[in-house]
Amino acid sequence: MEIVLKHLTKVFPGNPKKNIRDTTAVDNLNIKIKDGSLVGLLGPSGCGKSTTLYMIAGLKQPTDGEIWFGDEDVTNLAPEKRGIGLVFQNYALYPHMTVYDNVKFPLTNLNVVKNKTIQKVVDNNLIINLLENNLDEILNLIKSSLFKGKYSKSASARRIVFKYHVVTSLAEKIFKFGLQYSENPKELASSIVNKLKDENSQILDKFDKKGVRYNKKFEILDETGNPVKEKRHLTADEIDALVQETSRLVQINDYLERKPAELSGGQQQRVAIARALVKKPRVLLLDEPLSNLDARLRLQTREEIKRIQLNTGITTIFVTHDQEEAMSICDDIVVMSLGKEMQRNHPQEVYNNPNCLFVAKFLGTPPINVFPAHVEGTELFVGQDKLLANKALSGKKEVIVGIRPEGFIYNPKGEMEFDIKSIITQGRDMTILASHTSNPENQIKMIIDSSIQIPNGKVRFSIKSTKLFVFDKETEERIYLD
Amino acid sequence: MEDGYRDLQLVLRGSSRSVKSKEISSKVWKIIGLIVVYALLAFAALIVIFPFYWMIITSLKSGEEINRLVPTFFPEVIRWSNYSDAMAKLDFGTLLRNTLIVGIFSTLGTLITSILAAFAFSKLNFKGRDMMFSIFLGTMMIPGEMMVISNYISVSRLGLTSSGLTGIYIANIIPFMVSVFYIYLLRQNFKQIPDALYLAAKVDGKGDWTFLWKVMVPLAAPTLITILILKLMGAWNSYVWPNLVAQNQKEYYMMTNGLRNSFNVASDIDQYGVQMAATVVVTVPLLLVFIFFRKYIMKGVGRAGIKG
Amino acid sequence: MESKNNWKAWLYLAPVIILLAVFTFFPIINTFYVSFLKNYDYMRGTSDGFTFDNYLLVLTPVLKSGPGTMFEEVMMTALPNTMLITIITVPLSIIISLLIAIGLNSIKALKKVFQTIFFLPYVTNAIAVGMVFSVIFDANTGIFNAIFNTPLHTWIAPAFGVQGSTVNYWSALFALSFYIIWHSLPYKILIFLGGLQNIDKQYYEAAQIDAAPKWKTTLKVTVPLLSPQILYTLITSFIGAFKEYNSVIGLFGSEGGKFDKTTGPSSMKTMVYFIYEQIGKNQVQYACAAAVFLFLIIMVFTVIQFRVSKKRVHY
Repeated sequence: MEIVLKHLTKVFPGNPKKNIRDTTAVDNLNIKIKDGSLVGLLGPSGCGKSTTLYMIAGLKQPTDGEIWFGDEDVTNLAPEKRGIGLVFQNYALYPHMTVYDNVKFPLTNLNVVKNKTIQKVVDNNLIINLLENNLDEILNLIKSSLFKGKYSKSASARRIVFKYHVVTSLAEKIFKFGLQYSENPKELASSIVNKLKDENSQILDKFDKKGVRYNKKFEILDETGNPVKEKRHLTADEIDALVQETSRLVQINDYLERKPAELSGGQQQRVAIARALVKKPRVLLLDEPLSNLDARLRLQTREEIKRIQLNTGITTIFVTHDQEEAMSICDDIVVMSLGKEMQRNHPQEVYNNPNCLFVAKFLGTPPINVFPAHVEGTELFVGQDKLLANKALSGKKEVIVGIRPEGFIYNPKGEMEFDIKSIITQGRDMTILASHTSNPENQIKMIIDSSIQIPNGKVRFSIKSTKLFVFDKETEERIYLD
Repeated sequence: MEDGYRDLQLVLRGSSRSVKSKEISSKVWKIIGLIVVYALLAFAALIVIFPFYWMIITSLKSGEEINRLVPTFFPEVIRWSNYSDAMAKLDFGTLLRNTLIVGIFSTLGTLITSILAAFAFSKLNFKGRDMMFSIFLGTMMIPGEMMVISNYISVSRLGLTSSGLTGIYIANIIPFMVSVFYIYLLRQNFKQIPDALYLAAKVDGKGDWTFLWKVMVPLAAPTLITILILKLMGAWNSYVWPNLVAQNQKEYYMMTNGLRNSFNVASDIDQYGVQMAATVVVTVPLLLVFIFFRKYIMKGVGRAGIKG
Repeated sequence: MESKNNWKAWLYLAPVIILLAVFTFFPIINTFYVSFLKNYDYMRGTSDGFTFDNYLLVLTPVLKSGPGTMFEEVMMTALPNTMLITIITVPLSIIISLLIAIGLNSIKALKKVFQTIFFLPYVTNAIAVGMVFSVIFDANTGIFNAIFNTPLHTWIAPAFGVQGSTVNYWSALFALSFYIIWHSLPYKILIFLGGLQNIDKQYYEAAQIDAAPKWKTTLKVTVPLLSPQILYTLITSFIGAFKEYNSVIGLFGSEGGKFDKTTGPSSMKTMVYFIYEQIGKNQVQYACAAAVFLFLIIMVFTVIQFRVSKKRVHY
């Protein structure tokens, strides 16, 4: 599903009596999000990214502008009719329901469109197939569920479901055959198989007698030989199948029976994603989903979100204030500030080519080094140091120069001279803290290869041209060099 | 997963319609929902308010009008004399005097004992504090009937029920000078006052006593007002105990006893107007108090449920 | 804080402890004690020794049976009355107040007005309004009979001027339950509203995103999240219903009503009514036995409710 935001604006009305002014949370946002892509809305808190997400979800009403899902204008559509999945910042899992019931809840509100099938026969065939081909393994699974001298139905079912991708009721049916208690399970299994085959032929006979036609998959056909479609509520088995499938995807199978309060933050987060995914939404929205996790889990979970998104191919919008998070998993990022879009592109491209000072400063750790600078003719100076000459520059004006920490090369003949304060070696790289005469208060951070020997005191560096950006002092817009 | 399940095509209910019609149906259902909610609330409110209305208009009707087969919803002739008759029949002056004396003294007593106990439970540290408080709370679970009988025996044997008005006053006041619930309410409030204030006062050389009355009590004023109002209302409404100790002597009755016992015998229908006038006289002061102190009352009553 | 204010603390607590000791702790023990005394004379404090007869007389037909005995009054009248009142009014008043609270919570306009109206019964005198209800339910002139077109139907007392008019027990029970529910709504609505306001809005937003219809959200999200408040009101209103007394006095007068015996118990006397009646009859020991019995019933039911709800209540 492609999502298009047109002139999207949200103004929170103030209160003239209390002298509170209107605040524009989102200001004329125009974004096109490609089908199947993972897009990050990135910005400091208060930049309107969450408000944008909530407007896409329908939980907040835009003041102006339109929201399109594919060729549908959903601007005024209620959230429950948009077919979206939303993962809340603090997950909002229903605390009184088990994980299973949480994930199941959205399905109970949906319909399914399906070819009409003789389900009983299909199920029986599935059991026949399992008993004929996997009897020993199934017996082992059931027997491994021995607990306090009893075979556990629920544990057996869970294992069978996990291994053979069948629904829970079917797995329980296999348990109830009692193969595990039998002295000759093979014989019992074959008698069950025969019984099921009898049952199948009886059912199919009835259909034949009524003149109902069906195909090899036991789908009922109409006069023209096409499968008959039906639209109805989901059956318990269908719901179970979807819950199991989604649980498998986000790896929460082991604690389906627990309550959210009994789970860790990371587990809750995955349950929240499962609840959002289980209904196969057109769009998946994630509101700062990682902010409640500790550093290690955060790293792990963001990889998982990427994996799930790739597997499902659902158009996903991801809101975060953490640039590293956005950079690492998003196909595209939209950097926002004060309700406006600052820049939108592939994360690496935005990093390599920021179009304004805000974006340059916001992306990258450690942050970009900023120097007051001036242009004289075509030449660019930082303090006394002449950095470069470029035809794109002209006249005489104040500008701002940004240099990424990795943009410095140790070179005794380099353009800029720094006063080295300290050097911190961290394995492969080292961080140099230094200052420049143009603004001695400002601490400069450089990252260079730790194998290079740097003398103390005043040291000269040359600058990589791709890591240096010039910005207008007034507008803070990028001045592109030729 | 079996293919049949994996390829399930899920759709929202009613998704086949156009966006426009979905928008309209959302709006229509929202409006219908609101109408239903308001209609039901209005209906319930009508039932709640009707007895008050009926009480007031009946109190202004003549016996003849009350007696009609088709009731009138507004008195045709307003009969104010029902009120003077009711006041006389109730002996309102006596009831009011008894109720006010008992109410004011038991309320003052409750406030003082509650303030002292709540202070000890919230700011002082002593052995057995938590256990003592649990025991106090535990008494709230025990039905009052367990105590009423025995207390009645006590006041009778002390001779309070047979030594005139003073004895009756004492019997009506002393047992009601303590309330565990209000201690609990006030303790919660005192606990919110930061310990830093208490320690600062100590550093300034202020004693506990000064601190309690000069700092804690003014800060807890809203809760104290709540207690004051609820307690006075309680005195106004109390029936069982005053009825026991009064032993059918009219001059010892408090408000509610006076009301019930003045109209106890199935009186003839002409009396309904007077009876309703009497209930208006007893009910309206409470309603007025509620209207003026709504915030305090609802806060105090609601507080009980939060802790569960 | 330092522990030297130990004795000071007890000084602050002294008034409360003395009062509670005299008027709460002693009476509880004394009530148990008196319930086992034979021929207790409460004015003199004398008795003829210990006995279990008080309980046998009140609770069983072993010692005396037949009409007019205490067994008849308690087990055939007071206890059934009390039980019926409880079974009828507790669930109904909880459901109605829950519905009203949910309705109130979903509206904005007029919310304060409705809230004030629904709170009114709380600040009224149970006996005074009971008298108003008895006028409303009056057989001859009551507005209830007029509105529902049931002329001369007796709810509280026999019709005036009608020969052989009697009151059907179930009609009286209906009128009483109606009044008790009316009077108990405000407290519950207040508690539920407080609980509703504490429910995180995100659960509703999540339910909306999940396309759950409003009724389903109410049933599957709101009600379970209110379960602590529901349990609290269940227990308090249960205890309240078991101690029902003022409403009976207000509605039926201090005699507790007189009904057609063929339709049920002959009066609306409750357990508490019986207890106070014994005091008036100078039979304090029976009152004590009945009070202990009532106390035990309340305890047992409260414990059961806690147990049962442990699994269902979400905290």
